[in-house]
Amino acid sequence: MDVAVHAHGEPGYPSVLASDHEAPDVLFSTGDLAALDAPRVTIVGGRQCTHYGRDVSRRLGRDLAELGVCIVSGLALGIDGAAHEGATSVRGAPPVAVVGSGLDVPYPRRHARLWQEVAARGCILSEAPLGAPPAPWRFPLRNRILAALAQVLVVVESRVASGTQYTIDAAASRGIPVMAVPGPIHSQMSEGPNRLLREGCAPVLGVDDILDVLHLSHGTTAEARDRRAPPARCDERVLAAVDWTPTPVDSICRRTGQRPTEVAVALAHLEIDGWITGQGGWWTRLAPP
Amino acid sequence: MIATVPSATVLGVQGLPVTIEVHVSNGLPGFQIVGQPDTACRESRDRVRAALLSSGLPWPVRRVTVNLAPSGTRKGGGGLDLPIALALLTADGFLEPAALEGIAAMGELGLDGSLRGVPGMLAMVDAVDAPTVVVPRPAAHEAALVGRHLVLAPANLAEAVAALKGDAPWPPMPPPTDPPPTPPPPDLADVRGQPLGRWALEVAAAGGHHLLMTGPPGAGKTMLARRLAGLLPPLTREQALETTRVQSAAGVPLPPGVLVTDPPLRAPHHGASRVALLGGGSEAMRPGEISLAHNGVLFLDELGEFPPGLLDALRTPLEEGVIRVSRARAMVTFPARCLLVGAMNPCPCGEGGPPGSCRCTDSARARYARRVSGPLLDRFDLRLHIAKPDVGELLEDTAGECSAVVAGRVAAARAMADDRGFATNARIPGSQLRHHVAPTPPARRVLEYRLRTGALTARGLHRVQRVARTIADLDGADRVDEAHVCGALELRLDATDLAVA
Repeated sequence: MDVAVHAHGEPGYPSVLASDHEAPDVLFSTGDLAALDAPRVTIVGGRQCTHYGRDVSRRLGRDLAELGVCIVSGLALGIDGAAHEGATSVRGAPPVAVVGSGLDVPYPRRHARLWQEVAARGCILSEAPLGAPPAPWRFPLRNRILAALAQVLVVVESRVASGTQYTIDAAASRGIPVMAVPGPIHSQMSEGPNRLLREGCAPVLGVDDILDVLHLSHGTTAEARDRRAPPARCDERVLAAVDWTPTPVDSICRRTGQRPTEVAVALAHLEIDGWITGQGGWWTRLAPP
Repeated sequence: MIATVPSATVLGVQGLPVTIEVHVSNGLPGFQIVGQPDTACRESRDRVRAALLSSGLPWPVRRVTVNLAPSGTRKGGGGLDLPIALALLTADGFLEPAALEGIAAMGELGLDGSLRGVPGMLAMVDAVDAPTVVVPRPAAHEAALVGRHLVLAPANLAEAVAALKGDAPWPPMPPPTDPPPTPPPPDLADVRGQPLGRWALEVAAAGGHHLLMTGPPGAGKTMLARRLAGLLPPLTREQALETTRVQSAAGVPLPPGVLVTDPPLRAPHHGASRVALLGGGSEAMRPGEISLAHNGVLFLDELGEFPPGLLDALRTPLEEGVIRVSRARAMVTFPARCLLVGAMNPCPCGEGGPPGSCRCTDSARARYARRVSGPLLDRFDLRLHIAKPDVGELLEDTAGECSAVVAGRVAAARAMADDRGFATNARIPGSQLRHHVAPTPPARRVLEYRLRTGALTARGLHRVQRVARTIADLDGADRVDEAHVCGALELRLDATDLAVA
């Protein structure tokens, strides 16, 4: 792994950060810093997230990257990782990650492979010296860099009091537009973005909303080209019984009045065709019929 | 003079034949027991003396030596009181040696001469070769289960001696006691809602698949688990004898009909020690909970609270159906073929509902899930999340299907497995799965998808195939169809998903 060191004020230091009032004095990078030249959207959110949040984050990452927008995120579990998973799943703009540990200390370890993937396609930045462990105090500091790199900050899912709040505050203090993805009002994980919306943030209802703020033209994304097979007649009743929030099999059985075996077949069909997704016995709708 | 009486003690769940040799000679009055007696056995001297005197029988004021042959193994318990007393009376000349010809005896003496049963009577009687056995009256029916002996059951020492002297006939066998009204076992009809949980119980009972339930407290995991034993078919005579032998050796009260015919349910608390769960002990090798659940259900509630090492020790016995307990003094094999049912919360706070709803940190949840090791988790063919029941269903008046109806379907499915030559589908070896579980093309498609997306491993595939076979049997189907495979997949959450909250 090649690591470059950039001191503030010297040539090679990323120009986006050079003008920032809290710019790091020394910045370590691996990968190609040219990734920062594209329009940049920072996607942030909680480590714990619902399937909805993960799915939205992954789609935004994928579609924006495909349309040439650089995805900046923190490689954390949950929303951050999902955004980069999306961005690295297509040929598109190279992604950028800002991490809280040394560049040779992949953290979280579950994302070690994603970490390499991002470094290979785009670049990873860190303020921490090589070998620095992921100490808790480094993450709020890391978050200000995430905000400083953004042209638009998108909050997907977060609790009210969380690390994401640092990033939001840092973006707001720099005058960077903050956008929020609305979620169910009874989901704790959507409380953060929903409050932002109440305070007047612009909502993200799709990629186009973000492109508008970046003054980029709309394009055709994988989403629009992706046509799934319509559900079979017999599976439609089960699909109707699956909510957009995680639904237990028991509820699906009760709503349809079908036996667990019948429901299981329909769920398997719907999953293969991409209508729903399952996790730990909870099923979530992915697309309207 | 010398007299010998055959008897037996119990080691683990096996009877150990012991010959009581008593030598009475002139010399300083004394009484000594040799041949590695344990404390209870050594105290026999005082019980025998008091019992003889209070029964109006002579106590020899001579030198008495009692040998428990073979002298190399340790003998425990009070079951040797009666044979010692009888041999002593014979050696003293009070009884004719001919009167004890072909008679074995066992039982504990009270100070008033009354006879009491001891744990493991079934195994002890089984170990003796003599055609006739004298046992305490309370243990008469248990001794008769062996069926090879003429069982004589006096109530006290005086009755036994009178009969041996020919002064009185042996008392007839006690009539079988009428079973007192027992509360009916918990019925599945009491469970409101929970269609998935009920179905999982049915599949577990039909195929002998180990079952793991996760879910928040109060969702009904324990309630469901306690109803599983009621779905299993009644024990065959052979199974019943095995189970009765274990329960008798452990000193668990036997049912009124003596023979344990209903599959047992054992639910040890998570504070149980290693020996209590697996069997062992320094004095008597006692069967553990896993053996007490032989041919029944072992229910481990709060699985995550059991010491991880202890849970891993269950793996081998679950696979082999027996547990070998080795100690410095003895090596004992206990039967341990049981259906394991585990229940645990999804995370330390226990409130894990849908993904994203609990407040535990990611690492706390991962730590909690790690308490159950991967290999043990792998033993559970059925793994499902029990969600809190719907409020409306709790208040509904309509009862669900009762246990008897479900048990009927289970029995039919087990008969199909039996035709294939396996006691249960869970025991179909991997090499024969191809032969017995040929999926239809649509079923293949589902399996292929799961294998390709990495949701199913090659090892998991075998387990899914076995469960699918059971679901097909419950349907009365010859071939394993799509519905059966999908059902099996629905009942098998990923190990990582169990910690989802």
